[in-house]
Amino acid sequence: MRNKINFYLIEYAINAILRQRYKNIFIATTLTFLIFLLTSIFFITNSIKYELNATVDALPEIVVQKIKAGRHYDIETHATEEILAITGVVDAVARVWGYYYFENAGVNFSIVGVDEFEAQYKESLKRVVETSNLMNTKESSMVVGSGVKETMQNNYYKDYFNFIKPDGTLKRVDVVGVFDGDTQLESNDMIVMSKADVREIFDMRESKATDIVVKVSNPDEVATIASKIKLIFPDSRIITKNDLKISYQNIFDYKSGIFLALFVVSLFTFFIIIYDKASGLSSEEKREIGILKAIGWRVDDVLKEKFYEGFIISFFSYMIGVIAAAGFVYIFQAPLLQNIFTGYSQLKASFELPFIFDVQTLFLVFFLSVPIYIAATIIPSWKIATLDADEVIR
Amino acid sequence: MIELKNVTKSYEINKNNLVVALNDVSMKIEEGELVVIKGASGSGKSSVLSLIAALSKPTTGEIIVDAKQISKLPDRFASEYRRDNIGFVFQKYNLITTLSVKENILLPLVPLNPDAQDADAKLNRAMEMFKISHKKDAIIKNLSGGEQQRVAIARANVNNPKIIIADEPTANLDEKLSLHFIEMLRELKKLNKTIVIATHDPLFFGLDIVDIEIEMHNGVVI
Repeated sequence: MRNKINFYLIEYAINAILRQRYKNIFIATTLTFLIFLLTSIFFITNSIKYELNATVDALPEIVVQKIKAGRHYDIETHATEEILAITGVVDAVARVWGYYYFENAGVNFSIVGVDEFEAQYKESLKRVVETSNLMNTKESSMVVGSGVKETMQNNYYKDYFNFIKPDGTLKRVDVVGVFDGDTQLESNDMIVMSKADVREIFDMRESKATDIVVKVSNPDEVATIASKIKLIFPDSRIITKNDLKISYQNIFDYKSGIFLALFVVSLFTFFIIIYDKASGLSSEEKREIGILKAIGWRVDDVLKEKFYEGFIISFFSYMIGVIAAAGFVYIFQAPLLQNIFTGYSQLKASFELPFIFDVQTLFLVFFLSVPIYIAATIIPSWKIATLDADEVIR
Repeated sequence: MIELKNVTKSYEINKNNLVVALNDVSMKIEEGELVVIKGASGSGKSSVLSLIAALSKPTTGEIIVDAKQISKLPDRFASEYRRDNIGFVFQKYNLITTLSVKENILLPLVPLNPDAQDADAKLNRAMEMFKISHKKDAIIKNLSGGEQQRVAIARANVNNPKIIIADEPTANLDEKLSLHFIEMLRELKKLNKTIVIATHDPLFFGLDIVDIEIEMHNGVVI
């Protein structure tokens, strides 16, 4: 008979929670908020990590830039021929791109030039060239990222945009599509148009490019090929995928440090609640345990009831906290919190946090909250329940 | 049968202060007897009840109930012993005042996880026996002292124990309610329950239903 679920005990536990409703509402609210904060931090971290990994994976293996007096200058396009001659190099493409500051919105867009006769160094760009009308229109046209489109629409530019050239004149470019990037981070601030149009907007000569991306056949040879390029072009800076990975990781680590601080503060607050709860019971709670023991409850009956009390409060808080965090991060895009990570959003268009379902995160938050809270509920009750009932009642 | 053999109970208040509540107490109570233990406050009456109910353990000596040694029972078995054998009516009733009458009476059955039908039958029997059915959903703190006592005695009887123990049961009642309590005892005695009452209320002295009166003073039986 004692093996089946004891609903009387569960009902008693619910009653016990309701009898101290104001105290328990306060605890559950605080616990829910902390779980919400912790889970939101993990969700945002996971999403951004995913985005960064995807971005890094899509990066070219080697980028060659021209450096003069420590500053980045346009590179000659014919350099691609000399690079292509190096053994192990599969392709070398001169890129034409730059940042355009959209004053009305206070953000920077990346304008990337493509040429339909060239091999594209990224899958996303290849898709734009193959699927959009970008190369088929007589007028200047562009394909924009969804974030860019939204920003433009908010500023009354729906079908076209007038770029201000360095000489102060305007260049009208029609919007012919929305760019579908490999990652949100990558494509939501990106505008793709023909190389000729990019050159006109940035006043760049035909013989010049922003940089050169190099594709190698064997990833293990990247370092060797990079050093060969450096020998041919001593005035160049060679950036490998690994260098970029480290630099992205550094930014990410710095940002996660801020999140770590938030995480520590949340945990600290949680443990203060736990300490307070574990440090003792009120005289009324002690008396109740004494009465239960006196009328025949065993220590394990008392502890089971306390387990249910702790479980109901903590699991309820966990579920609400996790659901609220999922809604906050993935539906509302984590207002305030996301800005801690994407602190440069005043210069970059914002991006959407992709939904990443990570069971490990859910387990981690669960084990950081529910069992600890249950233990904090049970331990002081156990201390009282193991005393003589007579001693407790008196 | 309940038997106390040379029982001593002392409490250590601090390292230098030991209070002897019972000193070499022996007594025998046969099944179905109603025993009144009388004496002034601090005479050791409540300590005897506490030991018979296995709410505490004697410092020395033996307590035997139905041929079983209960004085050294481990906590788990002491709880089971109380649950199956003892109905305790405390001086201050020790009800959970924020629960209803029904919930309080059901409390001793909760760990047994009985079928709903069985629980209802036991609950109704106890409530009817002590005439508290009409208040079954009332919250304890809204009841009068007499009603609270009826709930306490109904709770003590819900599991149909063989032994009823009552500690100063009329201390908080007026004479009319005290007489009513005595009528309830009369009913329990008819059911052949062994009843042990600690009291200094003269209403119990020389009462027809009382089989034995034991007087105590300073922890010893006089």
